[in-house]
Amino acid sequence: MTDELEQLYATTYTAIVRFLYRKVWDAERAEDLAQEVFVRALAHRPEKPRAWLFAVAANLARDEARAAVRRRRHLTLLKGDPIAQPRVSPSAEDLVEHDEQVTAVQAALGTLTPRDREILLLWDAGLSYPEIAAQTGLAVGAVGTTLARARRRLVEAHDRQNTQMGNHAAHS
Amino acid sequence: MRHIPEDELHAYLDQGLSRSQCVEIESHLAECGSCRAVRDGIAALRDRTTALLARLGPPRKVPPAFELIRRCAAAQESERRRRTRGVLWAASLVAAVAFGWSASYLLGPGAAGRVMPPPMISTEAPQPRLPAAVLSPPVTKAIERSPSRSVDGPPVAPPPPTAPGREPLAAAATPGEASRPDPSRATFDHETALAVLQTAPAVELSPVATPRGGSDVHFDGVWRTMSWDGAQAEAGQPLPHINGLPVVQVQVQGGEQGKRPLMVVAQQLSSGEVIRTIEGPATDVSNLLAHRSMSDPDPRLPGIADSGSFTFDSTDHTMAMQLGDRMLAITGALPSDSLRAMIRRLNAQMRSK
Repeated sequence: MTDELEQLYATTYTAIVRFLYRKVWDAERAEDLAQEVFVRALAHRPEKPRAWLFAVAANLARDEARAAVRRRRHLTLLKGDPIAQPRVSPSAEDLVEHDEQVTAVQAALGTLTPRDREILLLWDAGLSYPEIAAQTGLAVGAVGTTLARARRRLVEAHDRQNTQMGNHAAHS
Repeated sequence: MRHIPEDELHAYLDQGLSRSQCVEIESHLAECGSCRAVRDGIAALRDRTTALLARLGPPRKVPPAFELIRRCAAAQESERRRRTRGVLWAASLVAAVAFGWSASYLLGPGAAGRVMPPPMISTEAPQPRLPAAVLSPPVTKAIERSPSRSVDGPPVAPPPPTAPGREPLAAAATPGEASRPDPSRATFDHETALAVLQTAPAVELSPVATPRGGSDVHFDGVWRTMSWDGAQAEAGQPLPHINGLPVVQVQVQGGEQGKRPLMVVAQQLSSGEVIRTIEGPATDVSNLLAHRSMSDPDPRLPGIADSGSFTFDSTDHTMAMQLGDRMLAITGALPSDSLRAMIRRLNAQMRSK
């Protein structure tokens, strides 16, 4: 089991980090969470480790998002400002590294429903339809439908973002 | 001709269909240009989605060695076991303390008559003992909670001289009281005990008034702490005491030649409280009781000055009984009803000897 996990670590770690990064938008935090996922896998010895890894990663990302929302609310209350819309603020390092297109994609992804986004990210992480269905509770036949909708909406939202950015640049 | 739904084409491109479904779709695509166009559009959408998401990847880093993950897991497991051991240790400690407390409660001095320490001084033949349950702490508390009850009932035959315990006590109780059900077994014991103690004929009982301090009544005489045998020899007859209770101290003040001395027998209840039985010339007993002080113990009283546990305190009650020119009194931190029952019982014992 340990050898299997070690092989899985070699092949899946990067995908887990990427999957987590697209949820927490913090590279360091995503790596920490990914390592925590594998530490838990060593303790639990799951029967289907690959699907289990992504399921735990999704749960950790969800907990992280809730904690981030609490922190933001706390800071907002401290500043006395009205409650801000949940908006991911990239770090200074990310601002340097990410261009406008990346921000546009990030914003476009944020327009998807949580379920569409989850399934799209799981598919992009390499999970099969049955694995996605097992983790999300959807029927296997519904995964394709959901993916079709998610892809279409992501591209449409990204196009809108590009259009708005172009208009903003033209006005400025 | 049925065209292929869009979601099936997504699943086909994502390799999410069975082999037979794939063969069916491929055979249709070979004949249907419209579906091929849709498939190409979906493939482009799929590729574009993948490209967009690829931009959102974090900066690529070399993953840490798996050995680090393994060590971290081992450290967490060790910490979890250490916490588990700590919790188990704390739980066992609590259990041990609880067990010890329970054992001391059940077997210690406060146990309700289960273990009675032997009297410190006892040279008398075995006598019917006062059931210890009457004086045990739980019963004492029940006595304090129970309403005052008249003891002037019909005389009941004294209990036979059998081994101490609750059975003879319960057997001697009146049927009405013996059949009285719980809620309070302690109250039941108290009532049955009072029934047993109602043995003496009606005599004059006189509760002693609140003690006063600073009296100018002189109470001369030398008190001597004596052994049980010595005090009994000097008195010429059995000393006044409650059978079954350990004697803590016997103090005697010698009277005139040929006159029975003034005696104070201190005995300890199982709850730790001390009661004193005082017997002697009526005048001397009256003076002694009149001199007691609640907050400033009179050094002339026996045992008070040299032992803090012998002081009268504010919770002490006193019950006295005039017997011709002599007086019998009991003082202690017990309800007046209990003291009255004790002094009746004590009087009956002394009359029978």
